[in-house]
Amino acid sequence: MNKRPIKNSIRPPSENLWSEFLILPDGRILAHNLTRPGAELLHKLSPNDGQIALRMKHHASTNHELPD
Amino acid sequence: MICAAPNKWSTDSYVRENQVFEQGNPRTQQSAPRSTLARERARLARAMLADCRFCAHDCGVNRLAGEQGLCHAGATARFFSAQVEVSDELELIPTFAVALSGCDLRCDFCITGASSWNPRAGAGFDVGAMAAKARAAWQNGARTIMVLGGEPTIHLPAALEFVSLLPESAKLVWKTNAHGSAQARELLDGLFDVWLADYKFGNDDCAARLAKVSGYNHVVHENLIWAADHSELIVRHLLMPGHVECCWAPVAEWLAGNLPGVKVNLRPGFWPTWHAARHAELRQPVLKPESERAIALARALNLNLIP
Repeated sequence: MNKRPIKNSIRPPSENLWSEFLILPDGRILAHNLTRPGAELLHKLSPNDGQIALRMKHHASTNHELPD
Repeated sequence: MICAAPNKWSTDSYVRENQVFEQGNPRTQQSAPRSTLARERARLARAMLADCRFCAHDCGVNRLAGEQGLCHAGATARFFSAQVEVSDELELIPTFAVALSGCDLRCDFCITGASSWNPRAGAGFDVGAMAAKARAAWQNGARTIMVLGGEPTIHLPAALEFVSLLPESAKLVWKTNAHGSAQARELLDGLFDVWLADYKFGNDDCAARLAKVSGYNHVVHENLIWAADHSELIVRHLLMPGHVECCWAPVAEWLAGNLPGVKVNLRPGFWPTWHAARHAELRQPVLKPESERAIALARALNLNLIP
């Protein structure tokens, strides 16, 4: 078996929430690891977007402020 | 039936001695609490690291002794993300999602490639601390707790230990590439409420070229059929540019023919990242005509698409 180490950056998980967005030339925004604050941001940018609205309305939590 | 593990850690003998597996047993019919089952199986899974056959690569390496199989994972797990997210299926969100580092596949388009290909990425997986965070998230309104990767199958001991510390009533999601072995499935039987399984490639040539895996479809079919029979199943397909006819069409046809009515999430948000540029067709997002064609195929086959 190959025992060579994989040479990649080893980044510890962030203590903060993280989402990633990719804005395409045609105006579409792709989201990865979307968190509630990220969804709130997208909702403000595009309040009529049905996809984001659906992801906003199910939340009873404020769990982006989880205890350690 | 219980499948005998092809190695010295036979799940068959473990069943007889410990009575912790019940054949085809859905969560609701379990006689033992989930936490107890998970704890027992975690112990077994840790011993099985001496002859690791958790995924279909069937390496048989001794991870306890430092040997590495194709996934390069060692005996301990690490994680690269743990947070409440809302980007998964609507019926599952908000979900507390724990992503374990390392994977047994090598998808060049992996959106978390740096962490998913490297089991040493991220931070050490402290099971107790993570379970406390998961419990807090669940108590604060997270609808589900999701274990993913990379691929969590390669970290079964840690994943099962994690499950053993979660509330019995929490809804648990096993997010997988569906490339696990029969042995892994036996260890997971009855512990997760939902299997959220990727079905990425509709033919083995694309699987070999883009993810360096052979015999892909046969393994995925086995896993999906088993998962549908043993838990709730949601199948995901990430639509890839240029792969509607060669990958999505056969996936859709197989699902329609073999798992009619199964929930399917067709995801058109392909994000060209990691090593996607190694493949000319993957250097771009999915264009609207391809998405429309994919959805039309799904509708023609009467697939149960979910958002």
